[in-house]
Amino acid sequence: MEKSGTERLPARVRSIIDNALTKYPPDQKRSAVLTALREAQHDNGGYLTTELLNAIAHYLGMPPIAVYEVATFYSMFELKPVGRHSISVCTNISCMLCGADDIVEHIEKKLGIKTGQSTADGRFYLKREEECLAACCDGPMMMVDHKYYENLTAEKVDEVLDKLQ
Amino acid sequence: MQAIKNYLKSLLLWELIQGLRVTGRHLFRRKITVQYPEEKTPLSPRFRGLHALRRYPNGEERCIACKLCEAVCPAVAITIESEEREDGTRRTTRYDIDLTKCIFCGFCEESCPVDSIVETRIFEYHGEARGDLLMTKERLLEVGDLMEQEIAKDRAADAMYR
Amino acid sequence: MTDVFVNIEIDGKPLQARKGAMLIEIADANGIYIPRFCYHKKLSVAANCRMCLIEIEKAPKPLPACATPVMEGMKAYTRSALALDSQKAVMEFLLINHPLDCPICDQGGECELQDLAVGYGRDVSRYQEKKRVVKDKDIGPLVQTDMTRCIHCTRCVRFGEEIAGLRELGATGRSEHMEIGTYVEKSMVSELSGNVIDLCPVGALTSKPFRFSARAWEMVQRDTIAPHDSIGSNLRVHIEGNRIKRVVPGENEAINEVWISDRDRFSYEGLYSAERLTVPIVKQDDKWKEVDWDTALGYVRDSLRQVIKCHGADKVGALASPASTLEELYLLQKLMRELGCHNVDHRLRQCDVSDQEYAPLFPWLGQSIADLEYLDAALLVGSHVRKEQPIANHRLRKASMRGAAIMLVNPLDYELNYRVAEKVIAPPSKLPMALAGIANALLGRTDGSVDAGLRQLLAGVEVNTPQRAIAETLKERKPGAVLLGNLATAHREAATLRALAGAVAELSGSRLGYLSEAANSAGAWLAGVLPHRGPGGKALANPGQSAHTMLAEGLKGYVLMGVEPELDCWDGRASLKALDAAAFVVSLTAFRTPPMDRYADVLLPIGLFAESSGTYVNTEGVWQSFAGVISPPGEARPAWKVLRVLGNHFGLADFEYGASSEVREELKVIIGELTPCNHGKWRLPDHLRPGLNGMERISEVPMNALDPLVRRAAALQQTQDVADGAAHVNASTARSLGLTAGVQIRLQQDEGSATLLIAIDDRVPDHCVLVHGAQGVSAELGPWEGPVTVQRH
Repeated sequence: MEKSGTERLPARVRSIIDNALTKYPPDQKRSAVLTALREAQHDNGGYLTTELLNAIAHYLGMPPIAVYEVATFYSMFELKPVGRHSISVCTNISCMLCGADDIVEHIEKKLGIKTGQSTADGRFYLKREEECLAACCDGPMMMVDHKYYENLTAEKVDEVLDKLQ
Repeated sequence: MQAIKNYLKSLLLWELIQGLRVTGRHLFRRKITVQYPEEKTPLSPRFRGLHALRRYPNGEERCIACKLCEAVCPAVAITIESEEREDGTRRTTRYDIDLTKCIFCGFCEESCPVDSIVETRIFEYHGEARGDLLMTKERLLEVGDLMEQEIAKDRAADAMYR
Repeated sequence: MTDVFVNIEIDGKPLQARKGAMLIEIADANGIYIPRFCYHKKLSVAANCRMCLIEIEKAPKPLPACATPVMEGMKAYTRSALALDSQKAVMEFLLINHPLDCPICDQGGECELQDLAVGYGRDVSRYQEKKRVVKDKDIGPLVQTDMTRCIHCTRCVRFGEEIAGLRELGATGRSEHMEIGTYVEKSMVSELSGNVIDLCPVGALTSKPFRFSARAWEMVQRDTIAPHDSIGSNLRVHIEGNRIKRVVPGENEAINEVWISDRDRFSYEGLYSAERLTVPIVKQDDKWKEVDWDTALGYVRDSLRQVIKCHGADKVGALASPASTLEELYLLQKLMRELGCHNVDHRLRQCDVSDQEYAPLFPWLGQSIADLEYLDAALLVGSHVRKEQPIANHRLRKASMRGAAIMLVNPLDYELNYRVAEKVIAPPSKLPMALAGIANALLGRTDGSVDAGLRQLLAGVEVNTPQRAIAETLKERKPGAVLLGNLATAHREAATLRALAGAVAELSGSRLGYLSEAANSAGAWLAGVLPHRGPGGKALANPGQSAHTMLAEGLKGYVLMGVEPELDCWDGRASLKALDAAAFVVSLTAFRTPPMDRYADVLLPIGLFAESSGTYVNTEGVWQSFAGVISPPGEARPAWKVLRVLGNHFGLADFEYGASSEVREELKVIIGELTPCNHGKWRLPDHLRPGLNGMERISEVPMNALDPLVRRAAALQQTQDVADGAAHVNASTARSLGLTAGVQIRLQQDEGSATLLIAIDDRVPDHCVLVHGAQGVSAELGPWEGPVTVQRH
């Protein structure tokens, strides 16, 4: 029988989960699953493996399938290896009206990939269909590695992306 | 008055003349008698004769053992047994039509979701031994293979009315 | 608790409803049909299919009937324009992604979606876009998936969480990409997994062994009773021609509710095994010859008479499977006793029956099956209830969910699908001591008068913390029960375990109950298939030998009924030895096996399970009679008919039965109005043994190896609940012996030995090796438990 050992979660991730657990009643450890997934993903270079999901399930005392459900539900969790820098361009209505589609096209051309793909050198990952990120007042916008860049133009995108290694 | 009329009619053999008039008329018309079996009447594409099981152009049998024909058959002439074939598809292991029970109503053809069981234009067949009129899956497929061109043409001709 | 009722109106019909009930329950109870997919009366409300939308007065929008509690003065309209429009709209959405593959779908003809689409669907779809396709996953040998057909009702997901207690299926992804599945490639292992087939309203989850073999409309449905565990689950078998195509649960709220175990559902496959015996055969000059019934029975009569004449009636014995029907068992013992032989027994997997004269009328559960649900504390002794009696386990699980403390004293650390409050895991030889600890802890808290013998026996027995906690819990929480399972009755010192369990129950004021072994264990006691008691529990002056003694000491003639002794008896090796040495062996059997070919002289083919009419008495004492629903293959006949005609051949009086019901009525008159009582006297041992020091063997019968029928059910044999031929040890024992998984060892037990592969199994306690019973190697090894030595091969 496969054991989902605690030791498979790095100590740093475990300490963050433990911290989150203090906010919830002891019999509702599963409440910390989003925190756990986020930290585990961050720690693992931007994506989650089935082993990590099992380890989280074991750590929080949840059935593994319940963790799989959460991880597959939210679009911010990646279940396959992706590029180091994650780019999400909002294509919802406000941004779209301000020209988000052109921005997406520009990035696709610049990086030579389509949405949902990573560059061959593993530097960038362009997310598919990001929904509204609540920055409608300054569209078009994108989020790169959890940071918002607003009022985008092609030049501004180049500037942001060129700086990243 | 009526009595006199009837008397005259029978005296003058009026009814006989009336009958002979029909005969006379047809004497000079074009003849419609067919010299069967040398000559045959034309058949509709909807003709319901001997049954056949069809195949797809790639040789795969169409029948998927849904058993709707078996269920709809008013004469209970169809017997089907099915199983999962090695490739995971649903197939028959037995498909028998007892032609001595069949009433050629065409319901089987109508109910078939994949146009597999069809009735062909073949109506001249017979059996000499007991069991000759029990069509098995192999024999039905044979008929289908033999008649496929005509069957396909007939289905195409009727397609827009179905 | 008194229920508060409110007045509501559905479709203009004034109704009384229990406050807090959902509208759909009230509608169902009053015969008003509301369409639904996700609602199921035994599962929680999810309200995610939206098919049950109905109009409710003063509500601006239609509401789901399954999630709308009734309120005073509520007026609901299930067939109003708004309700029907909503239902039709929902149906259109459901059909968007549902494939049009009804002709190849096994659910076709009995599909809830198909039925409701006729009532609420449009004839033409307005949807022009691409349909969703989901790749199939293999989730084991029992359940077939076609997840493209799934309509996401989540009944199966809720079943896993709420009933099976094992979340195996889940809904991954979201919106259109939502899929029901296991996410990782994995088999369902729950012992109740087959129930998702019945729950699934569409053809997404169907039966794998049944796959594509028949249509719902071709089959006839007949009722019968499950032939394996002692619960007596009600079954419905679906038959086409003379062949059982599948088995589904029959509803019986008092017994199995709406669930059945996988063993009961799929064991019918065993009926169609290639080993099935279809004609009577007789061995002459070491050659088997097919004969007619008359010749065969005549031969049996002559041979048995010969053996009795030469060696005496006490040198003949009869062993019957406890899965035989009440009628078969009664006739067998009647026949044998008429011949002057009291060596009849059904307790095949029991060794220690030294307390048999104190035994109750039959091993009774001590309460009804439904009562298990309302227990507040339960101590299971030597029981793997989850696999042995899955339905009883479900009741205990419900009790546990309500807060009951379920506790274990077991030789193996079984995993249950609910929280175990306390457990004591001890090797078989130390099991009596473990139980004695609990009894002693209770003794310390008892002020009333206590049997002096017990006090003396328990003096000086150590009590550890879990034992004390179990004692405290049993003493304080009521109602409580002490339940003895199969591993306890099969124990080498079963009488001691029974006495100690009885003492624990008595001292704590709990009920004592037996989770008996097989479908008709209780019936066998009532029918008198016992060496020391006749029908109705009447004690006999000259008791015969027990099953274990008959085989261990060896007789000259044996009559076997539905038994494969090398697999079904306590000591397989000794059984084979005794049978090989016997002068005459006749076996009434459904299957022909190589060992039978060797030891038997006559094989009489009998019907099994649904092939014979009869009665089973379950562990709570309920008599359930059933009719034969298919005829046995070939010349095989129901065993009661065989025994009846054999009785005629012997020229015995009173063997003129026309139907099995006449046999039952005769027995019923003998039994009269007896009620079982488990609390009585026990045979206390002189002293408690401290247990073995070296390695010892543990046995258990895996769920799907219980009896000859289930051992031949092909799909069940591919599950993990089968005898696997391995020697299971835990990691630390393996380390101390220098062994790793997969290493070949030689296991020596008494004179028997076998070569086995090591499997690491952390449920096994230290210094123990688990070798499953009911398999070939266990017949090579010998007794059910005892000291063993392990050598690297």
